Amino acid sequence: MFDFLEPFFFGLFALGIIGAGAAVVTLRRITAQALLMALTFACMAGMFLLLGAETIALFQVLIYVGAITILILFGVMFTKVDDRAYGLFFQQQTPWAAAVVLVIAVPVAFLALSFHDPATPSAKGGDLIPLAASLFTDYSFPFEVASVLLLAALVGAIVLVKRDDQ
Amino acid sequence: MPIGPFGIDPTIWAVLRLVIAVGLAVFLALNGALAQIFLERKIQAVMQDRIGPYHTGPFGLLQTFADAIKLLSKEDIRAKLTDAPFFLAAPAIVFSPMLASFVVLPFGPDFVAANLNVGLLYLTTLGSMTVLGVVIAGWASNNKYSLMGGLRSAGQLISYEVPQILALVTVVLYVGSLSMVDITNSQPGPLVNVLILPFAFVTYLIAALAETNRNPFDLPEAESELVAGFLTEYSGMRWGIFFVAEYGEVTVVSAIMATLWFGGWHGPGVDAVPILGVLWFTLKTYAFVLLFMWIRATLPRLRIDQLMGFCWKVLIPLALFNILASAVIILAFADPRVPLAVVNWLLLATLIIGLPFTQRRRLLRFRSRTRDSVGLRDARSGLSP
Repeated sequence: MFDFLEPFFFGLFALGIIGAGAAVVTLRRITAQALLMALTFACMAGMFLLLGAETIALFQVLIYVGAITILILFGVMFTKVDDRAYGLFFQQQTPWAAAVVLVIAVPVAFLALSFHDPATPSAKGGDLIPLAASLFTDYSFPFEVASVLLLAALVGAIVLVKRDDQ
Repeated sequence: MPIGPFGIDPTIWAVLRLVIAVGLAVFLALNGALAQIFLERKIQAVMQDRIGPYHTGPFGLLQTFADAIKLLSKEDIRAKLTDAPFFLAAPAIVFSPMLASFVVLPFGPDFVAANLNVGLLYLTTLGSMTVLGVVIAGWASNNKYSLMGGLRSAGQLISYEVPQILALVTVVLYVGSLSMVDITNSQPGPLVNVLILPFAFVTYLIAALAETNRNPFDLPEAESELVAGFLTEYSGMRWGIFFVAEYGEVTVVSAIMATLWFGGWHGPGVDAVPILGVLWFTLKTYAFVLLFMWIRATLPRLRIDQLMGFCWKVLIPLALFNILASAVIILAFADPRVPLAVVNWLLLATLIIGLPFTQRRRLLRFRSRTRDSVGLRDARSGLSP
């Protein structure tokens, strides 16, 4: 009875991702860009939800919408409101940008078209315990490397903002 | 044809259930805000030796309804240079995550709209989304005070999210589930989690105060320095929506505290009469709402550097140590309750006893520095002997 819901939401999220993503690139107002980027991330979370991966979807919202977009907005707030032509720097590089996009887009398109049988989403996608187990056993090395990177960033930030008088 | 509850087709019941849940959430959020504004006025009045609202209705009970009608009928004022779409969207961005949070709260046995197995993560995620609305409101108002409020809000909320999540993780480690229903079921007796994990509770309480912009952490809207922070340009029901959202968030974090540390809907007589659970849950939740009001009526507002320093230098290190200790203890002991409780109570004692000492040392340092500079100035002007 509600079979139409999944394709409907897939279409909605796909439209949201592509539309908001295109708007992020083409729009000139930087606040609108930041917010639309949040919308793109939220639609990605919706995609994960459709695949039955609730945990990943929630982490997507928590980290990308809740933290990274806020950090970007934090930076945006220190810029001026007026519509200045800050886009000029990038507009001189249209051919380069097109080339880079092609290099990335062609393999992705081939990969996407090579799928014929849709993979059945596993019902265990929302389960945290297998996710945690694989993170701390099979993928413990990448996990540790990422944590070292974050630690280095943290130490760097503290060094940068350290006051001289203390 | 399969028959669901109340003789309704299960597929229709699934949709109907959702509609009822959202309707109830709206009802609870709006009426909770009205009730809490009345309570807040009365309680602050009692604490400050005033009468509070008394003219409209018995004991002034209808005052908040009159205020709500006033807000609704107010002229919709929008300053000319505000950023229209964002200015209009910001209250909605603050309001909707709060509303969505109500869906996973376990009000009673089998009285929960959606028993997500990642319910706590869901609540944390929604809690982190409100800051987006506050930041946008501050930016779109095109006003220096609003922008300052938005910036403060972003810094404060991102900082206090860390100890908040760390405190939740301690409980999740101990219980072994993120589902609000499982967490409630794990503490049926009088031995509720707060007796075992008091430090995690206090960390969460402080972080929740900051997360909901309540005193003494209401720096984003500090009236004495920022006019009204991100709310400066808002009036009428848009302003009202921000306040409904704030009170709703207070309710949600209070409900989280009641569920995670105080046994949720468990209480005397629940096994015999399940609907009593709703009463116990409401009582526990409103106990925390009242605690928040008490704190608001008592404590002065912090300075922004004190706020950040306390989070990064005190709360986060202690909370991180708490997680490390809890994880080791839970792995090492078959019955981790006693060692966990010992470590947590010790940490709480360290926090409470240690704070005055560090503050005293800081105060002495500031005083000696001031004395030195005053002494130098006097020496230069030839005043000192």
